Amino acid sequence: MRKPVSRTPTWLPAAASVGGIALVVVAFLAYRWATTPAPPVISPNSAALVISTITSLPATQLEQAGTGSAKNSIKKVSGSTLIGPNGKPEVFYLGAEYCPYCAAERWPMIIALSRFGTFTGLQTTTSSSTDIYPNTPTFTFRSATFASQYVAFQSVETSDRNQNALQTQTSDQQALVSKYDTTNSIPFVDFGNHYAFAGAMYLPDILGNMSWQQVADSLQQPGSPQARAILGSANLITAAICQISGQQPAAVCSGSSIQSIEAGLGG
Amino acid sequence: MGRSDRMLVAAALLAGLAGIAISAYLTIVHYAALPLVCTTTGIISCERVLGSPYSVIAGSGLPTSAAGIVWFSVSAGLALVQLTGRGSARQARLHLAWSAVGLATVLYLVFLEIVQLGALCIWCSSAHALVVLTFLITLTRTQTFSAPTAH
Repeated sequence: MRKPVSRTPTWLPAAASVGGIALVVVAFLAYRWATTPAPPVISPNSAALVISTITSLPATQLEQAGTGSAKNSIKKVSGSTLIGPNGKPEVFYLGAEYCPYCAAERWPMIIALSRFGTFTGLQTTTSSSTDIYPNTPTFTFRSATFASQYVAFQSVETSDRNQNALQTQTSDQQALVSKYDTTNSIPFVDFGNHYAFAGAMYLPDILGNMSWQQVADSLQQPGSPQARAILGSANLITAAICQISGQQPAAVCSGSSIQSIEAGLGG
Repeated sequence: MGRSDRMLVAAALLAGLAGIAISAYLTIVHYAALPLVCTTTGIISCERVLGSPYSVIAGSGLPTSAAGIVWFSVSAGLALVQLTGRGSARQARLHLAWSAVGLATVLYLVFLEIVQLGALCIWCSSAHALVVLTFLITLTRTQTFSAPTAH
């Protein structure tokens, strides 16, 4: 009768393999972490200047941009009109500070909304250092307020750039997101329950390794990749807002570019 | 083949079938341009991974997931042959060799995801886990076959 003589347990090579595979994955993560650049910094004065620049872009500059290189992901949705605290149709934004796609989309969101009202409390930040498209320069809505006679704006930043919990949605907002954000992606933007989109309209890589000032400066150059993507996205968002604001203000909504985009969105 | 050995081979067969299902889903999504069921949160971004140049086999338009179908089909076939037959040491070693090829490919793909793209595709990671599981099963079985014996 043959009797097994066990010198090495049969499970040991498998256990050693698991350890080896784990070490390799940790090495990949460590390499990625070590080669990730540090987030850029900006002085308060420079931040204020950048915010002032992008919230007061000339209408002609936006008109010329058209949709640029932006991907039109705005979809028509149906539901009772979402009304904000000021009694106006509401634009609702859901995102997070770590999220690079949210970082990219805040630029056109701020540019577009600034054509309908005034932001206060905007702050600069960057997306996560460890996520994809690390340290994308952007702003946060966490302390921002928006005043407008045409639309309301509500925002929720669920996490900070280190993925710590930040703001929570109300039950109504959760219901709205469950209904319209079918892919469960952020950023998610709802235009009065008439239009919505999820995800960024352009890839954040075009903002890679740029400072806020450099991005703001690039918007002054009509052919730059940043201007084509950000201003194009801003025009798409502007057109959706015009659809819920009753085409007000006319100075914004009657532009030929916006009218053309609105025709494509469908009324 | 003992009872525990049969269970290991059956597990490898199930891993192969699950891997075929995942790879087929990703391949269908690729060719039909359907929206992928996947969240984009934190480092998880199927869109980033499957929209990258690495999502197709270099020099061809074939999605990487198509290679996954082939790998899992062969692996499941090898498991089935062993399960329905006597399960020789040679078959076990062949399965181990095939698993080692799969493991090396998985490590390369994980390198691309983490280092080059900085993003993980949850569907891909599930398939990778099945390859690793298959490797561990075949390695354990080969050890059983090669365990020293005495009279």
